[in-house]
Amino acid sequence: MPVEPAPPLREGGQRIRQWSKRESYEGIAFVLPALIVLGIFLIYPAYFTIRLAFYEGDFRFNFFHYIGIDNFKELLTNDPDFLDLSKFPPGGALINNLRWVIFYIGLSLTIGLALAVLAVRVRYERAVKTAIFVPMAIAATAVGVIWLFVYSPDPDIGILNAVLHGADGGFKPIAWLGRPSFVNYALIFAYVWASVGFVMVVLTAAIKGIPADVMEAARVDGAGEWAIFRRIMLPMLSLPLSVVTIWLFINVIKVFDIIYVMTGGGPGTSSRVIAFTMYEETFHNGRPGYGAAVAVIMLVLIAPVMILNVRRFRSERVVA
Amino acid sequence: MSTVDQAVPLTARTRSERLIGFLTRTPIHIALITIAVIWLVPTVGLAITSFRQPQDIATSGWWHAFTQWDWTLHNYGSVIHATGMGHAWVNSLIITVPATILPLTLGALAAFGFAWVPFPFRDTLFLIIIALMIVPIQTSLVPLLKLFAEHGGLNKGYWGIWLAHTAFGLPLAVFLLRNFFITLPKDLIEAARMDGASNMSIFRRVVVPLSVPALASFGIFQFLWVWNDLLMALIFVSDPDKQPMTVRIPYLLSTYGQEYNLLAAAAFLLMAVPLVVFFALQRYFVTGLLAGSVKS
Amino acid sequence: MKRRSWLAALAVGILACAIAAIAAYSAQAKPDTKKADEIEVLSLWGGSEQAAFLKVTAAFTKATGIKVKYTSARDFIPDVRTRIAAGNPPDIGILPRPGYIATLASQGALKPLSSLGLSNAYMQGQYSAGWLKLGSAGGKLYGVPAKANSKSVIWYRPDSFKKYKFKVPKTWAQLLALTKAYKAKGLVPWSVGAGPQQSQWTLTDWFENIYARTAGPAKYQRLFTGKLPFTDPSVANAARIMTQIINNKYVLNGIQGVLGQSFVGGITDVFGPKPKAQLYFEGGFVGGIATQQVNKNLKPGKTIADFPWPTIKASLDHPIVGAADFAAAFKDSPEVRKFLKYISTGAAGSIWVSTNAVISPNKKVPAKAYPSVLSRAEAHQLATAKTFVFDGSDLLPGAFGDTWGFALQDVIQKPGNIKSILSTFQNKIKGQF
Repeated sequence: MPVEPAPPLREGGQRIRQWSKRESYEGIAFVLPALIVLGIFLIYPAYFTIRLAFYEGDFRFNFFHYIGIDNFKELLTNDPDFLDLSKFPPGGALINNLRWVIFYIGLSLTIGLALAVLAVRVRYERAVKTAIFVPMAIAATAVGVIWLFVYSPDPDIGILNAVLHGADGGFKPIAWLGRPSFVNYALIFAYVWASVGFVMVVLTAAIKGIPADVMEAARVDGAGEWAIFRRIMLPMLSLPLSVVTIWLFINVIKVFDIIYVMTGGGPGTSSRVIAFTMYEETFHNGRPGYGAAVAVIMLVLIAPVMILNVRRFRSERVVA
Repeated sequence: MSTVDQAVPLTARTRSERLIGFLTRTPIHIALITIAVIWLVPTVGLAITSFRQPQDIATSGWWHAFTQWDWTLHNYGSVIHATGMGHAWVNSLIITVPATILPLTLGALAAFGFAWVPFPFRDTLFLIIIALMIVPIQTSLVPLLKLFAEHGGLNKGYWGIWLAHTAFGLPLAVFLLRNFFITLPKDLIEAARMDGASNMSIFRRVVVPLSVPALASFGIFQFLWVWNDLLMALIFVSDPDKQPMTVRIPYLLSTYGQEYNLLAAAAFLLMAVPLVVFFALQRYFVTGLLAGSVKS
Repeated sequence: MKRRSWLAALAVGILACAIAAIAAYSAQAKPDTKKADEIEVLSLWGGSEQAAFLKVTAAFTKATGIKVKYTSARDFIPDVRTRIAAGNPPDIGILPRPGYIATLASQGALKPLSSLGLSNAYMQGQYSAGWLKLGSAGGKLYGVPAKANSKSVIWYRPDSFKKYKFKVPKTWAQLLALTKAYKAKGLVPWSVGAGPQQSQWTLTDWFENIYARTAGPAKYQRLFTGKLPFTDPSVANAARIMTQIINNKYVLNGIQGVLGQSFVGGITDVFGPKPKAQLYFEGGFVGGIATQQVNKNLKPGKTIADFPWPTIKASLDHPIVGAADFAAAFKDSPEVRKFLKYISTGAAGSIWVSTNAVISPNKKVPAKAYPSVLSRAEAHQLATAKTFVFDGSDLLPGAFGDTWGFALQDVIQKPGNIKSILSTFQNKIKGQF
């Protein structure tokens, strides 16, 4: 559907209408309640948190004891639970988010794209889409419980271990969530399971938008399916792909529920992510300023997306 | 919009061509069906477990349940009464409905203002709202907790979380609805204006009735978002009597962590409403979700 | 058209439910006014431990008419912190960590017992000085010792011992030999649950028992009150001894199994309907949980029993590591005062111990109040202990009990890094006491 910008003030062929003062007031009246709510409950808290990050904070969350950028210094150089560059591979919550970025986004895109490409060729496409999409509707808490079951080290409960046990009788059960080297990937895959549906839905809609004649012409010219995919489909999907990637990236920065429910950041601190660190430092360890610094880092990481969104909207406003 | 069906048209083919067509696509069928089944397995496993007797759960995997036909509703009964999940379910509803209606209302009003009522700085304000769409909740947990505590004990009741969810749902509401509103026929609105209708009555009589799909999309999306939320409820609903299911289930994990029958039933109760909403109103939910990431 | 009307009906249905619910909610008391005769108690027990406590509160309600609402929170620290910040703390918290209680008291979040009608003289009549000291901070008494448990018992299956003709070990060397003997028979000797649901405290108990038996009670006290750094060689020594049993060879599913199993899950591994391991270490409360929650078919003495922690250094004999939960008040009200008074009586203690879940630190609870051979033995152990030390990780300030648990989780994964793990922890806790 063509998108029209908001009605301009001067329209060709019509009476030029200046807004009246009354109309301005009315316009402001319409948006004011929303702006007030946003101002008090979204913008002011953001300012508060950014300011709190420069203090130590006390148990009533006051601005107690100004310490400048000490919180940030400690986070980035002296807190191995957050960022540990002293060993290889590096560790810490920030690095875990990096793992999420690579594997969560990578897997979701790959599986989602593959499913989308395959599903548009069959008649039961809708059924497949539904089966894959259903996990999107359920709470991360429930996703956590479901996958706690799947990962259980007891072969009578956890299907993963049951399958492995069935394949090889002498197999020792793996505690998927008990291995610090693996726990992050286990969590990532659980969330991928819940997110692939979104990728698939967006991409199937986009693939259907690709003109069939272009692909038919390529086929007639003798191009193989894989070449068609790489040279025609992918470029035409670049916009939806980028949109999906951004959505996945935002999810990565904000991911909290599934870690809270499944591992609590453990074993130890090996599956922490920055959103969890913020919660833990503020409410468990009683360091509000430190937690606020983590929140600021989250904002900084997400800021490029904000700017991108605004830019994209502005550029799309101009319509032929 | 170009053709939807990418499959080769079936009419002009011979039987052998069709057979070959089907066979070459067999790997696709196998792959798709396998993956779809794998995707369903975790949820199905949980569902089956919730209907099994506790001693069965401890001694055999849920995949055996197909042969051992010993199903029970007992778990759901226990979870609803003994562990307070029924109460928590009602709490979820109490939290979710106002937290959907409020941003919907405020958002629709603001979106109308942004779409059809000119005023100074309109565009800048709208861009700010777009930027606010992805602010993480973490930036508001501590300040709002403090704010609510110091002004009327909003944490003790539901107003705290209602307002917090409203604030975080508003940017998307305004964005989605405004984009929809500007696609409404200009002439309709101009005609109403020339008839002397005020902006408010244009909103109520012209815009809203025409926008039901968009309103429904946001409404359903927000409903599911709030119903499934954990972190905000964890922080802003401090009275254990008022906590929703998403918060009570991790408690269940920590106190009855070995009692998978209860956990499974509780998780399913949590999932029931979103699943119903999803299946009944799938189209709207998907539109809302897509609009959050693409422009519709 | 049909679909549309169905959707509309669904929407109306949900809305109607919601309106009804909201109406019901607003019909009841406003959020600010609480029912006058009800108090809220927060603690971390669930399952059978919770049921035991509810028996005590039921008796309280019967006697006074005041209802008790129990809130369970295994990860109670963020819970308490959030609620205090929200201005909505529970009335009473029964917390296992004197160190955390001291932190709360220093923030002014707790009410001293003397202001609640429980004079020092009265408390001294009910409890010995050792317990009272633990419940104090800054010279004032804040916590009523509500219940206690020994943490120096190891649980085993007597039927299994009988079958293989094993004897109860009295020294660490004998315990190791027992472990190896089980392994030789193709059985998994130990189950340890130190992972999910904040279960890392079980490792701290292992450490404390070993430390008390290798470095002695005096050093133990100094370590957990900040006077001895964790980088002292005695600490690394004890941690290393711990890994002689907690390693991939002797524990169910290896170290990853330990980190992937919760504390109740570990009990189930040994005493559940399908046992997977033979020995389990945790405190006296395991008996209650095992027999009432995990497996109701257990027979104390036949299929479940415990023996005291073996000695390691003969000269240090058997120090008993004990733990206790303390009831502290966040708010002052007549109901709160009545409840605290009740908890401090021998009557309440007797009811509580009759559930087999706890030992009472109360002087006024007679020995005959203990119903089973298991709990009587535990009470006897606590009462006759020549040396008694309190659970060290619970003495650490703030949330450091958890951080210490995490450090020990690191230790069992990388026994080669013990020194650096300990120095990292020491850096964190330095100056926090």
